Amino acid sequence: MNYTELTVWTRGIIMDKEGRDIVNSVSASARLEGKFAQAMENYVDNPDRTNAPTRKYCRVSDSVIENALTYENEHPNIVVLVEETMVKGWDYLLGMPPGGTLVINTHYTPEYIIRFVPGPERLAQLVCVDAAKLADHKWLYYRLGELGLDRLSTEGAAERSKAIAPDIAAPLIAAVVKTTGIVKRETIEPMIANKHAFQMAFDELHIMPLNPVAA
Amino acid sequence: MSTKGTHIPDRLKITFAGITPAPSQDKGQDLFPTGNWRAIRPVYRDKMPPCNNACGTNEKIQGYLDLVKRGKYLDAYALIKEDMPFPSVTGRVCYHPCEQACNRGQYDQAISIRAVERFLGDLGLALARDVVKAGPPNGKKVAVVGSGPAGHSAAYQLARLGYQVTILEKSPKAGGLNRGGIPDWVLPQDVLDREIERLLELGVTIKTNVEVGKDVTWDDLKKNYDACVLAVGLIEANSARAEGESKEGVHFGLPFLRDIGMGTSKVKLGARVAVIGGGNTAIDCAREALRQGAIEVTMITVESNRQEMPAVPEDLHDMLEEGVELLHGRAMTAVLGNGRVEALELYPAHFSGAINASPIIINREVPPERFVVDNVIVAVGQRASLGWLPDEFKTERGTIKIDQFGRLGDTNFFAAGDVVQLGSGQPLMVVNAVGDGKRVAFNLDKVLRAEPLRPRTAPIDVIVDLKRMNMTYFPPFPRVQQAMLPPASRRRTQEEVIQSFTEEQAVEEASRCFSCGTCNACDNCYLVCPEPCIVRGDRSNGLYKILVNYCKGCRVCIEECPTGCLEGVPELDFDTGVVRMDTAFAISPGLHGRQGEELRRLAERPAKNI
Repeated sequence: MNYTELTVWTRGIIMDKEGRDIVNSVSASARLEGKFAQAMENYVDNPDRTNAPTRKYCRVSDSVIENALTYENEHPNIVVLVEETMVKGWDYLLGMPPGGTLVINTHYTPEYIIRFVPGPERLAQLVCVDAAKLADHKWLYYRLGELGLDRLSTEGAAERSKAIAPDIAAPLIAAVVKTTGIVKRETIEPMIANKHAFQMAFDELHIMPLNPVAA
Repeated sequence: MSTKGTHIPDRLKITFAGITPAPSQDKGQDLFPTGNWRAIRPVYRDKMPPCNNACGTNEKIQGYLDLVKRGKYLDAYALIKEDMPFPSVTGRVCYHPCEQACNRGQYDQAISIRAVERFLGDLGLALARDVVKAGPPNGKKVAVVGSGPAGHSAAYQLARLGYQVTILEKSPKAGGLNRGGIPDWVLPQDVLDREIERLLELGVTIKTNVEVGKDVTWDDLKKNYDACVLAVGLIEANSARAEGESKEGVHFGLPFLRDIGMGTSKVKLGARVAVIGGGNTAIDCAREALRQGAIEVTMITVESNRQEMPAVPEDLHDMLEEGVELLHGRAMTAVLGNGRVEALELYPAHFSGAINASPIIINREVPPERFVVDNVIVAVGQRASLGWLPDEFKTERGTIKIDQFGRLGDTNFFAAGDVVQLGSGQPLMVVNAVGDGKRVAFNLDKVLRAEPLRPRTAPIDVIVDLKRMNMTYFPPFPRVQQAMLPPASRRRTQEEVIQSFTEEQAVEEASRCFSCGTCNACDNCYLVCPEPCIVRGDRSNGLYKILVNYCKGCRVCIEECPTGCLEGVPELDFDTGVVRMDTAFAISPGLHGRQGEELRRLAERPAKNI
């Protein structure tokens, strides 16, 4: 039996949709591949506050997932941080079994970032992808700090919310797919709106191998 | 905020009738360190204000303006005295590079920094005792040759460091260029006398009528003192290289002013006087000529218009107000007359290069112009007189050869002021000489204490872009003008032309300062922060602290900082500030996690217990 949990940590409002796109597209492609999958959002964390930390969950399994009533992933195998400064704030690796993967959207190198990671011995690999640059995001993620002024959000972007992963979610999905193989690239790629960024991320990942676990 | 579903750490749990209460104000802060929401961190980072950077001696101008604004005149005076031994002098004579650099100049009008400096300088002179004390004596003797701005500054700083300083002055009165190069109607002699008294109060000895090379030799200096600062200045006037300059009635700029300043002048000027040259000394000569009895004064310059003249525009304006005429684009080739000047021979001329020091091209194809005068004052620059100096320390420019620390080779001799700055591209002005003297004094101190010398570093981050400040806090406000004597009455007297600020005027003018890039404790960040993040140590100063555990990085303080002192720095650039939150937002098994475990066990339980 192969059961994988994916938890995405993101920021309320400004990056809410990005996190949602990751879990939704991964679970949808898993179902297309004949697996069983769930994708959920967490409302404990007040996702309707700008910058508040929010989580999105996804589970992929070869067999039926019996736990249909809880949504927190207690033992995430893969953790994605959609915003880089989250590495400092929470114990997002809590409950991670050995051999996990941490994907971070950052322009820093894994060698720099690892100092902030709590318990890196649990990780098989640390993956850094400069998603904001690859997705060529003009105004939102480059200058995150200035967003305090600009309360625009993905929430109001109705025309964009129909497309899946039009922005920085695309490179992050690519990073997850390439480094963990949770779903096949062929199944997930047609869903992604920003194919260019998805393609670029496949080539421009910074992967730091840590403690692999024998299968 | 409801704490329902929140995992509250045991140490914070206060149970009341089985209900976990909402976090109280103080405990709540422990419970929700919302600093984790932050992507950038506000940091107080003072920048170099452009005025401090432009000042030849790097006075903390922003600092003393801020103190004047708050009525702390004595503190302001003490701050100015760190870098400037005689603020009452520079408050009158300085060509204020600070005001040219002032950011307020791009906005409405530059701050009248010189006038505030003069206000503080006069305040300091009125004190019974100076705020500055000599340092504890270290038993070392230093000679300073020359009592002009550079020598005065070096002696002042060395005395503060505890050296026994002796100034050797060639003239009968101390003061150097301050006395001999600056007319009384700019700097009254009694102001300078008071400043020199202040220097004597520090324990400095001044020996007048002592000339190096004549009364004291190079070897005497070497033998009798631990170290020596040469601040001899430029004392010989340049010639205009015209024929007949030795005729009676031809005067040279600096000696002309010096003799009047020292009270030894025997000059009697006729009605028509010409001044050759377009610099600041020429302007002083022209204005002095009016006061010495001339009726018509004409200034003859090679520059083709007044914008090209290497002079301070304000002084030029004041000179024209007093009735001096300008004649541009001419060069004097000969002084005509039989033993005594009767007329000048002028040809059209221009500079061959872009700068005023480049060779002059004279057009001799047109017939010369005859310009009738009774006297001519040649003010085309000065040079040093260095016959006594060993040849190895002379440069081809006729100045003293020094290294980047102002030191002559490996000797304990240092040089400062115009005598090293001539031709270095730096404008020759009092404040630059003062700064040079100050730096050389500190370098000399290091050498005698056998400490390594450090080269001057370029200032980091001079703030010159108004976009980096929040200009909505600064309404346009006109500059407070210094009162002046009317042109008609002042052209005949030695009365001071520009008048002092009153206390109200000084405070008003200092209040216009932007405090560019520097925290001036305006409390704005403290007031606008929507969280209790900014704490203030003391009401009266800028000791603010940011509690990063609660700062959400909303940038409000950064955007609202009027001076641009607060900056947003990416959070990941800091190693500190790692707070693993242990609350509702933590991935600990909260309500749902615990419920999940219960639900998983449901299937194992017997049906009747459900």
